[in-house]
Amino acid sequence: MKMIDRVAKMDRRIIFLLVGLAVIIPLIAPLGLPVDITKPVRDVFAAVDSLREGSIVVVSCDYDPGSEAELTPATAAFLEHCFRRNLRVYMMGLWPAGPELGDLALETIAPKYNKEYGVDYINVGYRPGGPVMLVSLGRNVGDLIRADYAGVPIDSFPLGRAVKSARDIDFVMTLSAGDPGVLHWIIYFSARYGTPIATATTAIMAPQQYPYLSSKQLVGLLGGLKGAAEYETLVDMKARAVAGMDSQSIVHLLLVVFIVIGNIILLYEKRKK
Amino acid sequence: MLTTIGVWIAALLTLAIYSFLYKDNPVYKIAENIFVGVSAGYWAVVLWFNYAWPNLFEPMIMRGNFIYLIPVIIGLMMFAPLIPKVSWLIRIPLTFTMGVAMALVILQRIQGEIFPQLQATFLPLSGISAIQLVTNLLIILGVVSTLIYFYFSKAHKGVLGVFAKLGIWFMMIAFGASFGYTVMARISLLIGRVYFLLHNWLHII
Repeated sequence: MKMIDRVAKMDRRIIFLLVGLAVIIPLIAPLGLPVDITKPVRDVFAAVDSLREGSIVVVSCDYDPGSEAELTPATAAFLEHCFRRNLRVYMMGLWPAGPELGDLALETIAPKYNKEYGVDYINVGYRPGGPVMLVSLGRNVGDLIRADYAGVPIDSFPLGRAVKSARDIDFVMTLSAGDPGVLHWIIYFSARYGTPIATATTAIMAPQQYPYLSSKQLVGLLGGLKGAAEYETLVDMKARAVAGMDSQSIVHLLLVVFIVIGNIILLYEKRKK
Repeated sequence: MLTTIGVWIAALLTLAIYSFLYKDNPVYKIAENIFVGVSAGYWAVVLWFNYAWPNLFEPMIMRGNFIYLIPVIIGLMMFAPLIPKVSWLIRIPLTFTMGVAMALVILQRIQGEIFPQLQATFLPLSGISAIQLVTNLLIILGVVSTLIYFYFSKAHKGVLGVFAKLGIWFMMIAFGASFGYTVMARISLLIGRVYFLLHNWLHII
């Protein structure tokens, strides 16, 4: 049997093994490949940098454990930047598990900057209702949010009292894995109340956001783990996302090789017939 | 201690799921069934504590606000087709839902999506750099040719055919970009799991 026939009939588990090794080895022995910063990520960073101290930033964790690998690093890097700039963080989520995952990042990063719960940051938890909720939220926050995620009355916190409507919100960052998510924030909140909005999305969703970047409805975009790695680089906190970039690059290279080999085999078999 | 137990359970379940890559096996089946069961339980709790209790039962039971019985009755009408004699009652909740959705969606979609997106294609072709000119032309050409592809009232022949074909090319490039990002997303998830195993579980990295 020719080499090319042997490759064509190769057990697919060998491919799984190669992909697995391409992920594991660079994580254990990092190559330190450079992370280029793209314009949409730089724009998010610049927008956050331009906010005055004490500005209120809504961080909406619209994802669940299925997208945790891509969006938690982005959440952490964004929170790091917010707290470093002394911005106040108002965390919520359009997905049930989102604020809980966001809280893990919040509880790790806030103590680093001596931030106080209820004063510098708050987590109001999951807010169901999608579009209807977002329209109401912009009009009167008190109609919807009466307690934080632990059930403590929202008015007992200075930050809870400070946010009455969309007018009090200076910036929205939605970490979005689908529906409801970034599109709802753009259409039902930002378009209606004019609040600037940026997003970190799963890589699958990233291409769909470019029209909104082009129309300036989005300030910027962190696309997938790569976007999170770029933001980590910008805020100089090289962590999980940057660590994963070597593996990402090596696997992509491997997949390109697989695609080329697959096409060569296809052409060979066509010619044989 | 609890965190350690949690990490071990998560790690073993991760390995159980990945064992499917070798071949289907009972360990994978157990992990799959646990996932289905936990998801069902999780959603039951979420629906009760985030929807039913705060929006219906809490106002009625704790605050005696029985006006909420009206949406309950309208909601129950959704089940009317189960009783053929009163099946027509389903029209009431459907009409209500459609009315609210149309009022909300049509207005906001036009204001928040169609107009801004349309506006974003009104791009300058003079007084800009050569690169910007090429970019703007590509956007305009892409939008027009893709729209022409979806124009079905005339046969795609002649100039119309050329633009329709160009529209297909633009869409194929967009699908290719989407597929590339999809591959990246899937690999990112794998990296996330492997990172968890090596960092949180084995403490290798």
